[in-house]
Amino acid sequence: MAVLTIKGLSKNYGKITALENLNLEIEAGKVYGLLGPNGSGKTTTLGIILGILKADTGSYEWFDGKYGPYHRKKIGAILETPNFYPYKNAVDNLKIISHIKGIKQDNYDHVLDLVNLSHRKLSAFRTYSLGMKQRLAIAATMIGEPEVVIFDEPTNGLDPQGISEVRQTLTQIADSGKTVILASHILDEVEKICSDVAIIKNGVMLATGPVGSILSSDVFIELKAENMDELNRMLNDLNWIKDLRVDKGMLQGTMDPAHSISEINRMAFDHDITLTHMVARKQRLEEEFLQITK
Amino acid sequence: MNKVQHLLSLEWMKFKNNSVFILFGSMFVLTFPLAIFVGKEIKNLPKPLPNNSIFYQFPTNWEWLAYEGSWLVFFFLAFIVMNMITTEVSNKTLRQNIITGLTRQDFFAAKLASVLSLCFAATLFYVIVVLVIGFFHNDPYSLEGAFSDKTWILRYFLMCLGYLSFAFMIGFIVRSPGVSIFVYISYIFFLEPLMKWAVHYKLTEDSTINYWPMNAVEDLTPLPLYKYAENIPRQDLDFSFLLDPHHAMIAVSIYSVLFIGLAYWHFMSRDI
Repeated sequence: MAVLTIKGLSKNYGKITALENLNLEIEAGKVYGLLGPNGSGKTTTLGIILGILKADTGSYEWFDGKYGPYHRKKIGAILETPNFYPYKNAVDNLKIISHIKGIKQDNYDHVLDLVNLSHRKLSAFRTYSLGMKQRLAIAATMIGEPEVVIFDEPTNGLDPQGISEVRQTLTQIADSGKTVILASHILDEVEKICSDVAIIKNGVMLATGPVGSILSSDVFIELKAENMDELNRMLNDLNWIKDLRVDKGMLQGTMDPAHSISEINRMAFDHDITLTHMVARKQRLEEEFLQITK
Repeated sequence: MNKVQHLLSLEWMKFKNNSVFILFGSMFVLTFPLAIFVGKEIKNLPKPLPNNSIFYQFPTNWEWLAYEGSWLVFFFLAFIVMNMITTEVSNKTLRQNIITGLTRQDFFAAKLASVLSLCFAATLFYVIVVLVIGFFHNDPYSLEGAFSDKTWILRYFLMCLGYLSFAFMIGFIVRSPGVSIFVYISYIFFLEPLMKWAVHYKLTEDSTINYWPMNAVEDLTPLPLYKYAENIPRQDLDFSFLLDPHHAMIAVSIYSVLFIGLAYWHFMSRDI
């Protein structure tokens, strides 16, 4: 079942195109990464599907329209920054969230334990560190057992320990079977947590699919030989080797996974080329990402 | 719990321990019944005013307390209204409320219901204060003559609605806490008088000058001295200084609907 269907969303801020004809379908239970550099349109996309921003054209539908205009009660989301009443403590802020969602709940120890905030639950929000604010925001997304949780750059501005804590919590949430949408410009984050990824740049969707398929579709190779020109010529003639380039004295490229690096080694031997360095590994998301958004 | 109750209790949860709400709310509640007693210090009133009992006795205490209340509503309650809208923008809790599940209509309705409740509460408080002060200044203590002119209650309510719906609109359109207070005060004190002058040029030529929005609100509960001024012979003015109360009531009702409508239209059509 699709929890979210986005059709042809576009939005301009004056002359700047923030989003152009974006289409996306998010299946239940997936952990979806929305990946793109800063200013690529991630937050604009989330803002529109969360009812904050108005799209110029296009439409979206949550849960196949099952919950009508109150679909957001079934979603837990943070957009950009943690937003709470600064003069209220964690528990009072969470009570307001529950009230809006129409849930009767008086005890928030469980969600506050999840984000390790129980010891400060009665302090005013304004006294929190950035990491604590971010963690309270994550706790707030858990109120009322939402079907979908959305995080927008959840580790932004945190120190290494904060990042690790937040990632751990996110992994826990992802493992609980909820649908998760995670917007991030940090590839590592998406690679570690997400099952699927959509790559977006300048408001245009560049690629989408399971993280695994993007990772394994091509194999990254790196070769070095005494006679580099000869090696380059040889590899250029092969149609299953792509994107050849020289980087720091190494010849890099991608290889169709149906072939293997030992084939290259054998061919090099047949061509009287002696390889001094040979590496083949699954393409990492970062390289894929840089290539796609080039 | 019905929907309005649900939204009102949400607003109460948000603002019951907000310092602006507590400070301005308690200032209003304390100042309103007490400030009129400054009149006790004025032993000799200029003619044609009789003596300071007109501030406290029925039926004139209705108009003096209404006039005093109009300043306090204009100031304290309007600030509370702008605060409860604009801080939701500056704290980004407006965004979070929508993300959490309120529809934009719900958010707007919650604020509108709060403003109307504030108008009702302020009017009820006015009635109680007038009756209590009047009761203790009658000899013997009684409510005799207390209800000889009941239109004051409606006039007071509409005065509250006029100021607060204007503050409400400014809060939704301007969105910044400081700037909205600045716009609100400058409009009432400077901009409207300036526009009156620019549009009418000769201030005494045309009675429509009284129908400007904040002028109409002010004329609902004017300084009771104006009625004495009416007796002063005038040469170049052939209409009243003040808007007829019934006209003012109609004008303010129309303006209030307009302010609320504009706020709604603006809020529904914009990014938040």
